Amino acid sequence: MKPVIEMEQVSFGYTPGSDLLRGLTFKVEQGAFVGIAGPNGSGKTTLLRLLTGLLHPQSGLIRIDGENVDSYGISAMAQKVSVVCQDPVVPLGFSVAETVLMARVARLGQRVFGDKRDMEVMQQCLQMTDAAHLADRPLGRLSGGERQRVLIARALAQDTPILLLDEPTTFLDLRHQLEVYDLLKAIQGPQDKTIVIITHDLNLAGRYCERVLVLCGGSGPGSSDGDDRAGFFFGRPEEVFTASRIEQVFGVQIVSGRIAGQQVFVPIKRRPEVINRV
Amino acid sequence: MARWWLLALGFAGWVVCGLTVCPPGDAAAVAPGNDGHRAERIVSLAPNLTEILFALGAGDRVVAVTNHCNYPSSARAKARVGTFWQPNLEAIIGARPDLVVALDMAQHGLVAQRLARMGYRCLVLDIDTVAQLMEVIETLGHTLGCPDKADSLRASLAQRLAKACLPVGMACLPSDRAGQTAGPRPRVLWVVQRQPLRVAGQQTFVNEMIELAGGQNAMGATIYQYPPIGAEQVLACRAEVIIEPVAAEDLQGMDRRRAIEFWNLFQGVPAVANQRIYFVDADIVSRLGPRLADGVEAMAGCLRPEGRED
Amino acid sequence: MDGAHLTPRGLLLRAGISLLVLIAVMIGSLRVGSEPVSIRRAIHSMADPNQTDLDYQILVHVRLPRVIVAAVVGAALACAGVVCQVLLRNPLADPYLLGVSSGAGLGAIIAVLSGLTWTLAGGSAIAVCAFAGALGTMGLVWWLGQWVGRWGVAGLVLAGVIVNAFLSAVIMCLVAIAKGDQVHATLFWLMGNINEEGLLVVWLAVGCVGACIVGLFFLSPRLNVICFGDDQARSMGIDANRVRLAAFVLSGLMTAVAVSLAGLVGFVGLVIPHAVRLVWGGDCRQLLPMCAVVGATFLVICDTICRVIVAPAQLPVGIVTALIGGPVFIGLLVVHSRKIGPLS
Repeated sequence: MKPVIEMEQVSFGYTPGSDLLRGLTFKVEQGAFVGIAGPNGSGKTTLLRLLTGLLHPQSGLIRIDGENVDSYGISAMAQKVSVVCQDPVVPLGFSVAETVLMARVARLGQRVFGDKRDMEVMQQCLQMTDAAHLADRPLGRLSGGERQRVLIARALAQDTPILLLDEPTTFLDLRHQLEVYDLLKAIQGPQDKTIVIITHDLNLAGRYCERVLVLCGGSGPGSSDGDDRAGFFFGRPEEVFTASRIEQVFGVQIVSGRIAGQQVFVPIKRRPEVINRV
Repeated sequence: MARWWLLALGFAGWVVCGLTVCPPGDAAAVAPGNDGHRAERIVSLAPNLTEILFALGAGDRVVAVTNHCNYPSSARAKARVGTFWQPNLEAIIGARPDLVVALDMAQHGLVAQRLARMGYRCLVLDIDTVAQLMEVIETLGHTLGCPDKADSLRASLAQRLAKACLPVGMACLPSDRAGQTAGPRPRVLWVVQRQPLRVAGQQTFVNEMIELAGGQNAMGATIYQYPPIGAEQVLACRAEVIIEPVAAEDLQGMDRRRAIEFWNLFQGVPAVANQRIYFVDADIVSRLGPRLADGVEAMAGCLRPEGRED
Repeated sequence: MDGAHLTPRGLLLRAGISLLVLIAVMIGSLRVGSEPVSIRRAIHSMADPNQTDLDYQILVHVRLPRVIVAAVVGAALACAGVVCQVLLRNPLADPYLLGVSSGAGLGAIIAVLSGLTWTLAGGSAIAVCAFAGALGTMGLVWWLGQWVGRWGVAGLVLAGVIVNAFLSAVIMCLVAIAKGDQVHATLFWLMGNINEEGLLVVWLAVGCVGACIVGLFFLSPRLNVICFGDDQARSMGIDANRVRLAAFVLSGLMTAVAVSLAGLVGFVGLVIPHAVRLVWGGDCRQLLPMCAVVGATFLVICDTICRVIVAPAQLPVGIVTALIGGPVFIGLLVVHSRKIGPLS
């Protein structure tokens, strides 16, 4: 299978001298469901920004669909990748339906109004995220969770082969969390979408994702150039999510076990040692 | 992209259309002078022009004036075409004039251009100095067909101006200034506004009138025409006479006590010490018109050693 | 809002009805004035080659251009107001925030002080200099904004405020040394006046403002998207910087034309977008055409009031827009906060 996202020896730091990510290397195949986890400040959102070309790495190569990210223009990138942000700017006056339709604006070309196809896509996406009943409501009158579902619907309406989601379930209740993951899983197969999701929920990630990337953010050993800072782990959840590794990376004491055929990790308490984070 | 080009093209076409249908030439009919036609319906856009027209005996030919034209009293009965600052084009046209006289000011210039474009005859006159006033009287005399009236008006004005400062013991006309003075000219502070304090500088026609009346401006050269000044300059200018123009309607009932109280703060000034503070009718000293001689005479009266207010 | 989103039919309907109202208001305004005029007599005398009939002259040469100019200026300022509020993401923005007002004022006062009397294509020297001043200042503000804030919105606002303050001080300096009538002319211009312009000027103004409004309408879906912030817009495929630049240029051109024709007419650019947004929602595709028509209607009504209330003298139209606009704006804020929530 052709890798649709590739990172080779990517290093990036916001200030010169300190590297948030170092030597990051991994490949994501088309149609994969990848989870990204890591402690706060380990560079997860930064990684998404690097993937869309918003930030440029100090060294290394990033490729989307075989082409270097830098070679994509804004509209070309928007046809390949859609993003659900963690902390979006939300103008309160637009209705939910209008918000989802925004994703179709780049395709309008000469037209000012969308056509029937755009309306259909909008309705489908709202239905998929269980937000169809909110279509008339202005964004200002939605709860945090409802707003998140609307933004996911918008990313779906953009109809791209790659979907990047930055903590899309933060404000969602248990039912809707599962719903989002089920939805993502459902479109992954038939529409052959590649999904990369940043999450704090290791159990859900372990259950749904085929591959996981754990960013250590300077807390523990990982496959990098012999330096134990800015390390990372990439692979199948069974291999990457081990109790000792999680304890080391996240700095907590874990109790783990198999429940309903799946490995589950439950944090008990914080580890006494101070984690050195640079 | 295509629609942007279409838009630009459409706009260019629009502009070309406009330029061909109405080419940007100006129908300039602003030349002064007599084109043989005697003006029977005159509209005046300035108070001093109105006064000149009436002084030339063309008062009955004037059909409309501005709100500010209040002299002579028969002018007040004429139809109004707006204010001096903003004449109303509709009202001017409504008066069906065959001659419109205006001053060389920004707003009047615009109005004159528009009227000229519509085919009306406009006369734009520049009256900033006494010499220009004399020229304008001559021009209007020609235009109205009464050159002899104009000449006599000019002569009488010149005569009165020449005599105005004699009681003060001065030679008055600016051209006579060289070496004919018979004593120091009184220093005059011309106060346009009391709070904040604004006075007339040297590049004003008021200055010319002061010199015609036999005085000299207490202020030195200034950048501003009507500079606001502070207490320091008031004391430094050593004015011997302070003159405040006051609007005619306020002149009767004004509170002189207040004014005197204000000036008593500046005890170091000779004018205040000698109580030589005078109030004159603003209309005759702020308009460059036929009543110029009245104004100068009033000022000369203030400058006389024994001091007489008019 | 019909349903949840805007349809072309809905927009056409609303815009069409508003346009009819505008035309009715303009015709009504033609019939009102300090002189009694009969439209029928004017139409009869159109056949007359001499065309010296008073009614015709007043209607066609004085009132008609003035009403058209009022409509054009109103439309231009309202649309520019929409754009500025969207670009700067600030509901209190108006078209004069970005330096146009002081730049145009400086151009105007320089023209007045130099006593220029030439005309260019029928436009007076003051109008042309104000236009040049407005465009020049906007270029300066844009350049400064890039330099200070690197494409950001904050840089633009900062640059606009600084340039406005600086040039206003320069204007005040010049006013202090000007002669009485020049001062009056300048202040009058600063208060905003609708004048009777020549046919060519009106034609060009209509064309320019119309083209800019159409251009902004083309841009309006993208303007909607940049309300979500640069990052989200980028991820949806819209280059926020390019859209901002295009919108800035178009609205700046419109504002320069409006200001050169009528001076600084206030409140139209601030109040009309809010009023329209309150009634019909904030979708730019609807906001722009509706603001154009409503703004035009508003200013024609204000100008008519100015012409008749103290006839034959006239009030500066900027005074009437402020007197009406101020209370209306406060009323809108109250209704807005009750309906949607605090202004944000």
